Amino acid sequence: MPILEVRDLRARYTSGGPEILKGISFDVEADDFFAIIGPSGAGKSTLIRCINRLVAPSSGSIHFYGDDVIALSGRELRALRRDIGMIFQEFNLINRMSVMDNVLSGRLGYTGNLRTLFRAFPREDIKHALELLHRVGLEDHVDKRADELSGGQRQRVGIARALMQDPKLMLLDEPTSALDPKISREVMGLIKSMAKEFGVPCLCNIHDVHLAMEFCNKIIGLQDGEKMFDGPTERMDQEKLDEIYAMEVL
Amino acid sequence: MSNSAPSSEMGKTSVVDALLAERRRQRGIHLVIVIVLTLLVAWSVDVTVIQDTDWERMGSLAEVLKSAGRFVSVDWALFPKLVEPALETFMIACLGTLLGVIICVPAVWFGALNITPFKPVTYPLARLMMTLSRSIHEIVWALFFVAVVGLGAMAGIFALAVRSVGFIAKMSAEAIEDIDPGPVEAIRAVGGNGFQVLLYAILPQVLPQVLGVIIFEWEINIRRSAVLGLVGAGGLGLVFFRQMNTFNFPGVTTVILAILAIILVGEVVSYFLRKEVI
Repeated sequence: MPILEVRDLRARYTSGGPEILKGISFDVEADDFFAIIGPSGAGKSTLIRCINRLVAPSSGSIHFYGDDVIALSGRELRALRRDIGMIFQEFNLINRMSVMDNVLSGRLGYTGNLRTLFRAFPREDIKHALELLHRVGLEDHVDKRADELSGGQRQRVGIARALMQDPKLMLLDEPTSALDPKISREVMGLIKSMAKEFGVPCLCNIHDVHLAMEFCNKIIGLQDGEKMFDGPTERMDQEKLDEIYAMEVL
Repeated sequence: MSNSAPSSEMGKTSVVDALLAERRRQRGIHLVIVIVLTLLVAWSVDVTVIQDTDWERMGSLAEVLKSAGRFVSVDWALFPKLVEPALETFMIACLGTLLGVIICVPAVWFGALNITPFKPVTYPLARLMMTLSRSIHEIVWALFFVAVVGLGAMAGIFALAVRSVGFIAKMSAEAIEDIDPGPVEAIRAVGGNGFQVLLYAILPQVLPQVLGVIIFEWEINIRRSAVLGLVGAGGLGLVFFRQMNTFNFPGVTTVILAILAIILVGEVVSYFLRKEVI
């Protein structure tokens, strides 16, 4: 039983504008580390933003643990987003807040407005945040401001924030594109081991094919809004890669 | 071939003549513009200065200098009496700015394109608030509030508050329009509501800029509040007005010095505060 079922998903940013996703279907299982690869502009970012409805799809269906994602709005939509962690290419941290406050912001979906106003998070949240910061190796940076950290450290804060949500799925949008190759590998390794430890399936946009092949068990290849490949990593080969990235060679 | 064609044309008399004629025409236009502008200035000076001034009352240059000389002295006896109005001026500026900031909250919320709740209505409404606030002079606002709530500091506070909204709200709304959308997306992605997005993703990004603008406006408000008394809205301006009316010219100079002093204090404090927040 897949945890996420996407069927014939289509998206466009303006009615009448070009179609960014042209009927994408795939399933994510509970133990998947799923990669979405493809050239720039293929629709990878749009695809994962449809899953937590940061982008509204124009048609198709998405079912997350059986719930119809497209039908949700308001409080229910926020509850869905709370269950889906997200890690961003540019980290998207609150630069002027401390590392601790950034990690705690992962709990906002569980937190009332009054507590938010005074940043009065419950004791167990603080405890959990400290544990996560320890796990991602930032225990010495708890009180630092987010913008004092290096790129790799900032992404570790991003990972801790996503895990603070107790997510049932993690969406990773080019988590390593802003990092150098060595740090990229470390960060991917950390995400993978944490995802395994907490039992969270991942759906990962990734530009770097080598990282995708190394860390992911399944791959979708997108090209210009269409699915060119869908299968386990072992079945991906150079010929299929050339086909997916054909547009870039041209 | 195409290179040689124009170069042979260049020297032709017809081309030179055409160029000369064009230059003459442009000189003619410039001359007409200069003449028209000169006539306009002359006419303005005639109407507003020559005809409108009471030359007999002004007298000779020596007498003008003598009149000006009456201000070159300080009425030290007045100084102790200025402490209270100076404090009042200062407090009118502080409370006026504070009240202005409170009024700004809805104006900023409605006036930033990326957060305005219902664009076709709320955005023009906020813009109207900002324009109204800025296009009416603080003295006029003060006259209005003196008529509404009576003489005294409260009218001054209201006048400054309303007058401050335009600038603070405009700059703050623009700061919000310029934020990095990344953190907004992140807070929405964790399931945050609108209030949480505002508090976590928007406010921290604009806070230094907004504080800087508020401090700057506070500094300007000290200047403004010093003259509000001229129309009865409290503070040093009222003392100024009295000295002028009783022809105590050294007293006028004294008040001007006091105004200068608190404005300088405001400027120095503002400089260091803004350096601190930015």
